Order: sequence, then structure tokens, then C-alpha cells
Amino acid sequence: MSRQLPAPDFDSLRYERPNLKWVCGKAADGQACRLGPDSRGRCRVTSECRPAYETKPGETTGRYRCTRPPEYGGPCGGGPLPDGTCSRPLAKCAPVRSLRAKRIVFTFSIAILTAGFLMVALCGPFRWGFISPGPLSRQHATFTFAHRAKAEAAGNCSVCHQAARGGASTWFQAAFQARPGPWQIRALAAAGSSSLTAIDRNCLECHAGHSFHEPNVDSEHSCSDCHVEHQGPGPMRAPSDATCLSCHADAAVLQASIAKASSLPAAAFDYRPAQGRVIYQTPRPPRGYTRIIHSFSTDHPEFEIVLNHLKDPDTLRFNHQLHLGSTNIPAYWHGRKLTCYDCHQADAAGVHFIKINYQHNCQPCHSLQFDARNPGLLIPHGDAGRVRAFLRSLTQQYADYAASGQGMGGPARVQAFAGEQMTRLLLDYHSEEELERRVFFNNGQLGPVVAPGGTNQQGAAVFPGCAYCHEVTSSAGGAPGVTDPFLPDRWMIHGNFDHSKHLVSATGVEGKILCSACHDAEHSRKTSDVLLPSKEVCVQCHSPKGGVPENCSTCHSYHSLRKDSMPAR
Amino acid sequence: MPNPPPSIDRPQRWDAALDPKMSDATVERLLSTAPFSRMKTENFPGRLPLRDILKNDTRVHACRRGEIVMREGDYGTSAFLVLSGMVRVVLGQGLPAAMLGRRLFHRKNIFKLVAQLWAFQKEPESISVRDLSKDLSASTHDAHGEEVRICLQDVPRILDKHKTALIEGGEFFGEIAALSRMPRTASVFAESEESELLEIRWQGLRDLMKYDKELSRHIDQIYRERALAAALRRIPIFQRLSEETLKKVMAATEFGTYGDYDWSGEYKRLFQSGGPRPQEPVIAEEGDYPNGVLLIQSGFARLSQKFGHGHRTLNYLGAGQIYGLQEIAHNWRKPQSPVSLQYTLRVMGYTHVLKIPTGVMESLVLPEMAPRDLPALLSTAEDRPAAPSPAVDAAEKVGADMLEFLTENRFFNGTATMMIDLDRCTRCDDCVRACAAAHDGNPRFLRHGPISGRLMVANACMHCVDPVCMIGCPTGAIHRYAFGGQVVINPSTCIGCKACFHNCPYEAIRMVEIRDADGDILADQEAQPILKATKCDLCVEQITGPACQQACPHGALARVNLHGLEAFATWLKR
Amino acid sequence: MRFSQQRGFGFTVFLILAAELVCLHLAYARQMPRLSCLTGWALLGVILLLALYNGRKKLPFLPLLSSEEWLQFHIYAALLTGVLFAVHVSYKIPAGWFQGVLAWLYLLVMASGFFGLFLSRAIPKRLTTRGGEVLFERIPAIRRQFQERAEQLALQSVGESKSGTIADFYLRELKPFFSGPRNCSRHWSEDGGPVNRILAKISDVKRYLNEQERATLEEIAVLVRQKDGLDYHYAQQLLLKAWLFVHIPLTYSLLLFTAVHIVLVFAFSGGVR
Repeated sequence: MSRQLPAPDFDSLRYERPNLKWVCGKAADGQACRLGPDSRGRCRVTSECRPAYETKPGETTGRYRCTRPPEYGGPCGGGPLPDGTCSRPLAKCAPVRSLRAKRIVFTFSIAILTAGFLMVALCGPFRWGFISPGPLSRQHATFTFAHRAKAEAAGNCSVCHQAARGGASTWFQAAFQARPGPWQIRALAAAGSSSLTAIDRNCLECHAGHSFHEPNVDSEHSCSDCHVEHQGPGPMRAPSDATCLSCHADAAVLQASIAKASSLPAAAFDYRPAQGRVIYQTPRPPRGYTRIIHSFSTDHPEFEIVLNHLKDPDTLRFNHQLHLGSTNIPAYWHGRKLTCYDCHQADAAGVHFIKINYQHNCQPCHSLQFDARNPGLLIPHGDAGRVRAFLRSLTQQYADYAASGQGMGGPARVQAFAGEQMTRLLLDYHSEEELERRVFFNNGQLGPVVAPGGTNQQGAAVFPGCAYCHEVTSSAGGAPGVTDPFLPDRWMIHGNFDHSKHLVSATGVEGKILCSACHDAEHSRKTSDVLLPSKEVCVQCHSPKGGVPENCSTCHSYHSLRKDSMPAR
Repeated sequence: MPNPPPSIDRPQRWDAALDPKMSDATVERLLSTAPFSRMKTENFPGRLPLRDILKNDTRVHACRRGEIVMREGDYGTSAFLVLSGMVRVVLGQGLPAAMLGRRLFHRKNIFKLVAQLWAFQKEPESISVRDLSKDLSASTHDAHGEEVRICLQDVPRILDKHKTALIEGGEFFGEIAALSRMPRTASVFAESEESELLEIRWQGLRDLMKYDKELSRHIDQIYRERALAAALRRIPIFQRLSEETLKKVMAATEFGTYGDYDWSGEYKRLFQSGGPRPQEPVIAEEGDYPNGVLLIQSGFARLSQKFGHGHRTLNYLGAGQIYGLQEIAHNWRKPQSPVSLQYTLRVMGYTHVLKIPTGVMESLVLPEMAPRDLPALLSTAEDRPAAPSPAVDAAEKVGADMLEFLTENRFFNGTATMMIDLDRCTRCDDCVRACAAAHDGNPRFLRHGPISGRLMVANACMHCVDPVCMIGCPTGAIHRYAFGGQVVINPSTCIGCKACFHNCPYEAIRMVEIRDADGDILADQEAQPILKATKCDLCVEQITGPACQQACPHGALARVNLHGLEAFATWLKR
Repeated sequence: MRFSQQRGFGFTVFLILAAELVCLHLAYARQMPRLSCLTGWALLGVILLLALYNGRKKLPFLPLLSSEEWLQFHIYAALLTGVLFAVHVSYKIPAGWFQGVLAWLYLLVMASGFFGLFLSRAIPKRLTTRGGEVLFERIPAIRRQFQERAEQLALQSVGESKSGTIADFYLRELKPFFSGPRNCSRHWSEDGGPVNRILAKISDVKRYLNEQERATLEEIAVLVRQKDGLDYHYAQQLLLKAWLFVHIPLTYSLLLFTAVHIVLVFAFSGGVR
């Protein structure tokens, strides 16, 4: 307190008037006049006094007297001029605004400037860029998109936004015609997803056939519930997990879906695959897919196939363990054991694998060679009728084989050859019917079992019979039926899988995920084994611990499997 | 020749007579009645003849039975003389407030409040000439100019129920309030069917007393008698005494007046010239034998205790406070270990004190008091005085520096001292602007004043307990507002004589030059500007109370009643 | 203690409301696609209440609660708008020119407000400690007094001591110092360097003076210190008034932008969240 400076002396005779808007212009020099400017900011000062006219008693004419107040010096020496004006006029000042009045003016100017700026920005040529809340996704930002959508205006906002078809006044109208509008607080607060909106209708112009999730989805959703635009350049972001979980983690919604499903015919849920596709369709669980889920690694249900221990209905008999682990095979196969890639070839993109095909994948070992003496003569594969026809025209087949296959010349020689082979064959098989029967129905239990696939120098057929692999049924008259093998293009149709992302590691070199990491073929002896991994295998990587994203959209697509084909990845 | 400046007649003292309708015949009648009949007109100076005093400063009232002449607690500035008939003074607890029909004061209604918004367009201190001549005392008159009278309904029952004293023709009453600037001590109503009273406003009474010695003596005597009786009855320790005992006490009571009645002028001059501290005569010294209880009636006294080689101010005592009771009560209960006076009492400016001797206290008063009403015993060693109790030691609550600051500057006088906490004040001037908004664009205080530490006492009227500004106003323009006790100036009757301006020791009153609606300064024929005294009026016309306090955003400004320091201490510690 | 009680009460109410807001937002954001419209309206409502403070100050005579209570409400409601704003924009500054400018306007108004609050609590204490209380509008007059007195002393010394040392020194070093407010930014950072430099120069000059001149120079030094105190007050009081030059005009800009924002949101969202 002792360090406090004393307050300087000043004049306490006058009030300070901070409420006045105008201040004498000389105040900044410390010489404010006592009159002050008027309320409109004009200087009122004229002269130092107002001379008074006085007539002393006994005089006829009076004189003007200086009336300057004592505080300002008292009467001046010179006195007024003869005509009554003060001899000491004061110069007028230029009144200035008080600080507060300046602030008011400044505030007003800033408000006007802002209004002006807004008018220019919102009505000028850059308005679209100005009001846009963010860059568009890659697909929607191109000229092609705009052109296709027939938008001619620069800015292209009108492709989606109705209001953008006009200027500022249109926006204003549109704002108040929007439903819910700005004042409809209750409607704004109404819970639940939004229904189809004006913008959705514009989405549907291009994205035709907007189909929904499942027939028993209880409420409609607007496109923008999951697909949010103006989030930045690049591809539009996949919907977040939260959007999926808004229903799949909500018991009430799922309950309603169950209720709705019970009122729908089962056929409504049928999957209609694209032309030519074969799919494995797991039966729909009784309550549909309405388990509450929070994330993949925590409580995503086990894959139906694995959960229900479903079996491959394929009739083609195949033993993976034998093929992969047999020690005999290396003798026939380039000196090494079979690997997965020897039969399963990836498609062009590497996403999935080309269907197993007899010609490419089986025949190199399992040729339909029935005559050890003529290993080149092969029963045609694929059509039971053709096989029967072949077998019933064996002589001719031998002759053709001799002619073309062996290069024998002369019909006589050929015929002789054919006859000779036939005779020998019939010695083995005793009759053509027997041969035919064996060819079709021999499954390795009948007849000498030889190592199928390889040649046997001892001369017996190296191929046991169609039934060795296929399911052959006899039919009254006609060729026996060979059940078509069931080779689906897709096993798990509710999710998408991309082998190319899995068989190559993140670094590209090390850590290749082996096929056996997910597909337990080495231990599978039966065709009915479904060699698909359980969820736990996936969770090893697709979990917070594993480090690989486990978003819903990593595997699933919302849009219905019922109509659309699965999107290519 | 330039246009002569706008000019009006300079207002004079008797421009507004107390009763404009007072006729010369009435004056003649008065001059022939006692006590005026025996007054010598030559004692009165030429510029203040007795006749003119009677004509301008008095008014004749004709009262009906039961009509209330004055109410206890009102701030009035007139004394009354009973010309004929009888009036009753209500003693004891007084009449209930409802019966007195407390007058409603004129707060501004919502329209007038909102209309204040447009005040910024007005020139500062501008009054129209029409407004200048409006007489604001018309508020007590109804539409026809007749004075509104309130009558008591049931006079016999009141006489039955309340103790009253009779005042008959030729006697004065109401002089206490008129002369001492205290509120009316009792209610008075007319008893007889037709009573006639002469109301003398205090300027007239002052002048009459100044020039007529006998009147002066008489007034002095009845003032003492009546003031004493009422004052003693108010003090808690005497309330259980019977009438007889009280009479004995009264008979033994002594009066003491210390200091100078007109202390403010002397004090201000000395203080501002930086001279030695004005004299503070000692009333009672620490260590002396307590030979009586001192009751402060008006003015202020400083309570201090020896500390080192100097004195430490503990508190200041004002009207209604007692000194010496604790020591006397202790000695009465423990005669074997008596104590002397614990503190020194000095007068500050002016004080009026009653003294009840120890003997009377011990024989008459103390035995009647309930044991729980007796003050606590003092625990003390032989020579050293006891530490002062918290109730006494105000320095503990507000700090010794602050107490010194308050007493040196005589701020304890204030009931609405404007304190600004400089540690919170952002110098935004919202308070000044609010004050201006509430007064047609004219602020009524200056945000500047003496500083102690972080507190500034601004130059705003403190509405003193002892308003020295009111002394000497020739027209009564400055007066206490009847209900709340705020000191206000009536601009239409103010003649700009600067008496209050010079009197006020705190520079709270400022003279302003009046302007007309265009902003030109009004001048009289001599081309001297018309001045009016202005000061804070505690926003009596506003419904929110002081606008300054309402408007401070940081809680830095408060109107503090320094009469008792509790409120102040609480505010300091917030 | 009243101030701490005020603060405690204000903070408690604010924390409760803020926590409720954040929880409600977390709980309902999924279910209510238009939640940002509601938070936007709430934000605008509170901002308008905040902006009304200026209007209330113009009506000091109406019984609308004291200015102090309004300021307390203003501060804590402003904190609440911070939370509302964060919830409204989902915790990130929006992309796009218009919305970006709007968000920055809001943040600037908020920041200037808190800066002003800081100033109004910090500067008064500094002013009190320094002493020398003056009214802002009277500073030019007092400065002039100091200047005239200093000039008078300087001129006087020429006549008294027949030497122009002090007068020259005054003209060279002190005249610019006395002629206007000086060292504002230094005073804001409490830097006493400039005046100390001048005082050092004064003591340097002393060795060329006789007794009488020294006494005169001492008086001038006192004036220098006083003038510096005056400058300090000028600088600090100016700062106390100047921050409102940012806070209030930007508020009006913010309100204008908000009005346009409402139109744009409802015109272009058409159901988009």
C-alpha cells in the first residue's frame, strides 16, 4: 500500500458524463471546453462570454459588460466590442465521439460489413463453394456424374438438393417449407430414423432399385442414415458400425423384426442368386438374424454353417487328407505332394477360386482309363449318356483310337486291332454289360482295387468306376444317373470375403496366411466336411487384439441379398 | 447586436412561501398573539423583518378532531405552535403504522420508467422553464390544491388505550425534529373539534430564535425536557423501570454537549488544508473512575484504547449507544475488584450526551435489570485493561487501517456510503451511466474519492445520519424525504446559493449550470449562469433502489450503512 | 464467503447441465437423426440470452435482477454454450467455408469473452496496487497539467541557473514522453523498462548540474514517475475497454451468420442428418 501512487489532483467540481455520445474535440489535449458539443455532435462554442448590456442609473445609453465567470478568469481586460460581440471568440473544435459511442459505431459497421459480405458471398458466383459443407466423395464430384444427372448449373448442387435449383430466395422458401421445418421442434425431436426424403428421391435417380435389407425390416431408412456425403474427397466412407448397431444392438427393433417375419411367407426370404451362380444357402434360423450384436469379436454369432455343423451335400466323393497327405502321390505328381493350389486356382482378381473342374483339376491323375493295355483310350467324362454310348461302341472307339491315337494305318489293321482289344477286354470283364456295369457302378469295393490314377502295369483297370467318385443311380432303361456334383460358387452368402487380401500379408512378403490356417483340409476325409473356418479363426486377426478392422462393413453389405448380386470387391 | 441570452429571474429565498395564501390580516392577528406580541421588531434585521418571517415561513392550520398533525418517525422540518384548541401527543409505543396512514411515496410507474430510456437525447442538466417553477410540495396537495388530511377515527378509544400528553394553546411542539434534524419523536393529533395550529418551518424558527432570546431559551428548555423523556424511554435498560423510578432518573440526569454544532465547516477547512487534526476533546478518559453511564443522543464519539505510545481506535459510537455500562455493572456486582474505564471516549465534531450518575444507576436502574440483560463481567488483571470484546472492537472486523480511514474522514456518518472495491472495479462506468439513466441523463456522483487500500469512498452523497448539508439552506430545498430518510434536493426551490455545497465535508454536492432544451446555459439578467445544487438521492423515485449498485457487473459497488459496522464487515469479506 | 459461493454454485449448475447434455447426446444421437437441429436451437437460445445482457445494461432502472447476477449467468451460460457447441458439431470443426467461418466466429466470441473475464479479474488488482487512481476521461487533462508543469520547470531553470542543460534535456528526451500516452504495450506486460531508462538518463544528466538545477530536475523526475503512473492507468483502462471492441461486434456477426445457417441447414438438409 505504501507503494501506491497518490491520485493526481483534479477538478471535482464537474461531473463526469460517460453517457454523452459526443466529447469536446479539445479534450484529447486536456483543454475541454465547459459547454461541450450538442447531442448531434456540433460544437456550440462561440465566444468566452456573453456580454450583458447594462445601463447605470443616470445614464442614457448603456455599455456592454464582459460576463466571463470568475472560474474562467473573470471579466476580460479588453471588454466586449462596441456592437455587443465578445472580443475573445473561441475557435470551434471538431467534436469526437466518446469511446463508447465509437464502439457503437464500430459494432454497427461490423454488422453492416458482415451483412454485405454475406450478401456478396451468397448471391455471387462463388456461392456454391462457399456454402458447401465439405468436399464431395470421389464419385459425386466428377463432371460425368453431373452431366449424367443433367445438371447444367456450375456447382452441381442441384443434382441432389432441390433448393439448389434456385438462388437465395429459393433457399429461404425451401427452408421454411422443409418438413420438419425450423419451427417444428417436436417433429425434430421425434425419435426414430428418418423416412425417405427429397434427397433420397434424387439418389434413386441413379441408384435404381434401392432395395432394402431383409423383408422383415420394420422401418424404412433414408439413404443418408448410413451414407453421408460431404465428408471429404475420396471414396464415400463406408457406413460406420454404429449405424448397423442402431438396429442390431437394439432389442426392440429386433423384436419387431421377428414379429414381422412371422407374418411373412417363408418364400419371401428366398435368395435369388444372379444368373449362373451356385450358392450354398444355409437355412434361415427360426428367428432370423436377430441376435443382438455389439461387435464382431465380442458377440457376433458363430457362422451358421459351423454352428449347426452343416454338411456339404455334394455327392462327389473326395478325401482331402488322402490327396494332401498321401505318400504315393509324389510318385505321380512331379515328385512332390499335392498342394492346395494344384487344384484350387484363384480367379483373375484373386478374390475367389475357380470352380473345380474335372478337366483341369482331376483328370491329370484320375483319367477314365479303363484298359491298361491302351492307356490313351479314355472314357469321356461328364455325361452318363455319352459314357454309355462310348461303351457300347467300344470296337469303333478302339478302331478310332488305333487310327488316330496310335497312328496305325489301313482299315484292316485298325479293325484287327480293335477286334483284338475287344477280345482281351471281354476276357477281363466277361461281357460288355459287365463292363458297363463296372464302369458305372464300381466304387472300389468291387473288382480289383488298384491305385486309382496311376497306371498299373498289371493290366487291370486303373479307374475303378464312376461310382468311385460319383453317386450313380440305376434307372430303368436309359443310362444310369450320375448325380451332379454340388460345387457352389459361394459358401457364405451373407458376408463377402476376399482371398487376395488374406493370402498376401500386409507387408506383402512375410507372413503369408496359409490355406490351412482357415481351411482344415488336411484332416478332412469326407466330402461332407465343410472346410470353412469358425468365427474364432477370423477373430484372431479381426479384433482389437488382432489389429485388423472388424467393422460390419468389412464383410457385410446392407443392401439386400434377395435381389442384388453381391458387389464385387 | 446579438440576441440576449435566455434569462430568467434568479430565484430568491422567499419565492416559495410556506403558504402562498397567507394574508396580511392573518399576519396581523399573529403579531397580536403571544409569543409574537412580546417580540421586539427592532431586534430583527432589515432584510428579515418579523412580519415577513411570519408571512413567508409560517402557515396556519385549522384541524378537525382526530386529525393527525405529525407522525412518529416522519422527517419533518417544521415546528408547531398551538394557537387555539388542544392536541395530544401519543407517548409510549405510539400509534400503529396503519392508523397513521403512512403516506405512499411516488415511485415512478412502468411507463415513466421506460420513458427514461429516451433521456439520452436530452441535453445535460436541462430543465424547462416551466418545470423550474413547478412546486413539488404539491404532492401533499390533491387536485384542488387542498391539503390532504388523514384523521383518526376513534379518538376516545385511542385516548383510552394509549398514553397521551396534552398540549394546549401557546405551547410549541415538534421543535426537536425541526432543530436537530432527527425524525419526529412522537405522533400528534388534534383533540378538540376545531384546533388552530401555526406551522413554522425551521428556517423561520431558527431566525426567530436567533433574534428573540426568550423564545430561544424556552425552546431550549422544552426541547431538553421532551427529548430527554422520550429518549430515556427508548433505551432498553430503562424500559423496565416504573414511571416513578424513571422520574427520579430523569431528575438526576445531566446533559453534555461537546464539540461544535457547526463542526463541518471548521473540520473541512482544516482537513483540506492538510493542517493538524482538528481537536477532539476527551469526554471520558481510559483509566478514570466510571462516574456515570454516557448515552449518546446525537453526533459521534470515538472509542479508543491506549496502544504503545498512541491510541488505537476501536469503534465509533453514534446515537443510541452507551458508554461505561459494562464497567459500572461489573463494579456493582464485584465491589471487591473494581475496574476503571476501559476505553477513552472522544468527541468527533459534535455530540450530545446524557449522563446518568453511577449512584443513580446502582440504586435505581441496575437492581431492576434482569440478570441476563446485564453486560458480561470483565476479566482483568490489576492495571492492564481487558482486551476489548468483539462487539466493541470493530477494528478486528474491518481492519485497523480501515477504521482509522473511516474515522479520520468522518465517513461513519453515512447510511449509504458508496464504497467501491477497486480490486473488482473494472472502471467500466456502468454505475455512472446507470445513475445518469435514472436522472434524465445526469449522473449524480463522481467515481472518485479517498482511497484506503482497495476501497474507495466515492463522492456520492452518504445520506448522513447527521446531514450537515441541511444547515443553512435558506429555502428548505434540501430536506429529508419523509419516508426513507434519504436527503434530497428539490430543484425547483433551490436558489443555487451554494450553502449546502460548501457545507458538505465529503464533496458530495455539486453545483451545475442549468441549460434549456437546446443546451444553452440559462443565465439571469446579469448573464451569470443559473446554478442548482445536485447530489445523489438514492434513487427514491426508482423502484429498484440505487441504480449504481444494481448496475455494477462485478459486485464492486455497494451503498454501505456505516452506522453499524456489521454490514460493512460482511461486505468486505465477501 | 460470497464470491466463492457464487463460483461454487455456478460451477455446480454448469457441471450438472454439461454432464446431462453430453450423456443425453451420447444416448440419443443414434435414435434422433435431427438431434443437431435441437442442440442448434438450444445453442441459439442460450446465445440470445447472453446477447441480451447488453440490452439489460441499458435498462438499469427496471427490476430485472442486478447486473452482477446477469454477469454470473452470462459466464456460466457461456460455458454451457461451449458444451452445446461441442455437442452440436460432434466435437470437430466443420469443413466448408461457411460453416468453418461460423464456427470460428463462435470460438472467437467465446475466447474474447474469457479473455475479457480474465482481464476484468486481473487488471483491477494491478491498478489498485499501482495506485494513482484516475478517471479515464480526465487523463488527457492531467497529462497536460504534468506537461505544462514540466515545461514550466524546464524553462524556469534556464532563467534561474543561466544554463540550458535541463531545457535541452527536456526537449530532447522528455518532451516526447510527456506529449501523449506512451508505452502502452509495455505497461500491458508490466514492463517498467522505459521509465527506468528515462530515470537513468535523468540521473546521468545530474552530474552536469548545480544544486539548484538538481532540485528542479528532482521535481521533474517526480513528474516523470507520475506521468508513467498515468500512462499505466491509461494503458490498463484502455485494455479494459478495448476487449469489448472485439467481443460485441463479433457477436452481431455471429448472429447474422447463424440466421443464414438456419436457412441453409433446413433448405439443404432435406432429411440429411
